[in-house]
Amino acid sequence: MTKELEHNFVTDLEKHQNIVHKVCRLYTYDQDAHNDLFQEISIQLWRAYPKFRGEAKFSTWMYRVAINTAITLYRKSKRTIQTQDFDTVLYKVESTAYDDTEEEQLKIMYKAIKLLSDIDKALIFLYLEDKNYKEIAETMGISEVNARVKMNRVKSKLQKILNP
Amino acid sequence: MDQLELLKKDWKKQEADLPTLSYDELSKLIHKKSSSIVKWIFILSLLEFVIPHVIYLFMDNDKVNAEVDNLGLHNFNLIASILFYSVVLVFIYLFYKNYRTISANSNPKVLMQNIIKTRKTVKYYIWFMLTMIPIISIIIFYRAFNSPDFLEQIPEGTNIVSIWVLAIILILILVGIFWLFYRLIYGILLNRLKENYNELVSNGNGNL
Repeated sequence: MTKELEHNFVTDLEKHQNIVHKVCRLYTYDQDAHNDLFQEISIQLWRAYPKFRGEAKFSTWMYRVAINTAITLYRKSKRTIQTQDFDTVLYKVESTAYDDTEEEQLKIMYKAIKLLSDIDKALIFLYLEDKNYKEIAETMGISEVNARVKMNRVKSKLQKILNP
Repeated sequence: MDQLELLKKDWKKQEADLPTLSYDELSKLIHKKSSSIVKWIFILSLLEFVIPHVIYLFMDNDKVNAEVDNLGLHNFNLIASILFYSVVLVFIYLFYKNYRTISANSNPKVLMQNIIKTRKTVKYYIWFMLTMIPIISIIIFYRAFNSPDFLEQIPEGTNIVSIWVLAIILILILVGIFWLFYRLIYGILLNRLKENYNELVSNGNGNL
C-alpha cells in the first residue's frame, strides 16, 4: 500500500468521518464502545479501500462497510437489551409515553430504535440520513422494492413500540 | 409518521456534537490492530500449527526417529507427514482467504454467504484433525503391538484383544480431549459468527 493511497484514504475518511461516528452512536452504548467500533470500522475501511474502485459513491461504500462492521465483524459485548422481553419494553415505553414534551418523545424514540434488530437499525439509520430507496438498496445489497417493503415493516415495528 | 419526522430533524441537529478526529489521529488509527472474529480464526490456526513445532524443536528427535524406524514406520511417517502438512497448509490458506474475503466491503447478502463458508471451513478443519488422530494412533498401535520387543515384554497369556480395547479407550480419550479443545477455542468464535448470522436472518430479513 503506497503512501499516496494512504494519504487519499485518510483524507476521504477525515471528510466523511461523521458517517462512521453516527453508526457508532447507533450501535454502541458508551464512549469506550463507540471508540472501539470507530477504530474497527476505520481499519475495515482501510483494508477494503484498495478494492474500492469508485463503482459506488465513496459515502455509499462507507455506509455499507460501517454498517456491516457494526453488525457482523465487531461483537465485543453481547447487547443485553436485544434479548429483553418485548412486554417489558412496551411497559417501559408506555409508562413514560404520557409525557408529551418533544424532548421526552425523542428520548423514547431513541430508546425504541436501540431495541430494533441490527438490520432494522441500519434501515432506520439510512432513513434518518435521508437516503432514497435506490441508495438504501445499494447499501444493503437488496432490490429497491425489497428496501421499500422492509422499510415499511421497520416503521410499523417502531410505531408499535411507540404507540402500543 | 410525524414522530419519525421529528426524530429525523433531531438526528440532523445532533450531527453538530459528533466528535471529530484530526488527520493525524485517523492516520494512527488505521494502523492499529483489528479485533474481528475471522481474523482471530486465521491467527488461531497459525498458532496451532506453529506452537507444536516449536515444542518439537526442544524434544529429543533422534530418539523419536529411532523409535519410529524401529517400528518399521519410517516410510509411513514420511508419507503421513507430507500428506498431513499439505492438508494443514491448504486449510491455513483457506482461513487466510476467508479472512481476506469476509471483509465488510461486501453487502450483507454476500457477507452472510461468507460467514457460512468460514464456518464450514473451520468445521472441515476440525473434522480432519479429529479423524487423523485415531487413524494415525491405530496404525502406530498396530505396529507396536506386533513388534518383537512388545511381544517379548507382555506377560504370557495376555489377551491381545484386551490390549486393543485399552488402546481404543486411550484413543477415544485423546480424541475427546482434542474435541474439547477445539470446541473451546473455535467453538466460541464459531458461535459468535453464528449469532451474527442468525441476527442477519432474523426479524424478517430471511430473504435478504
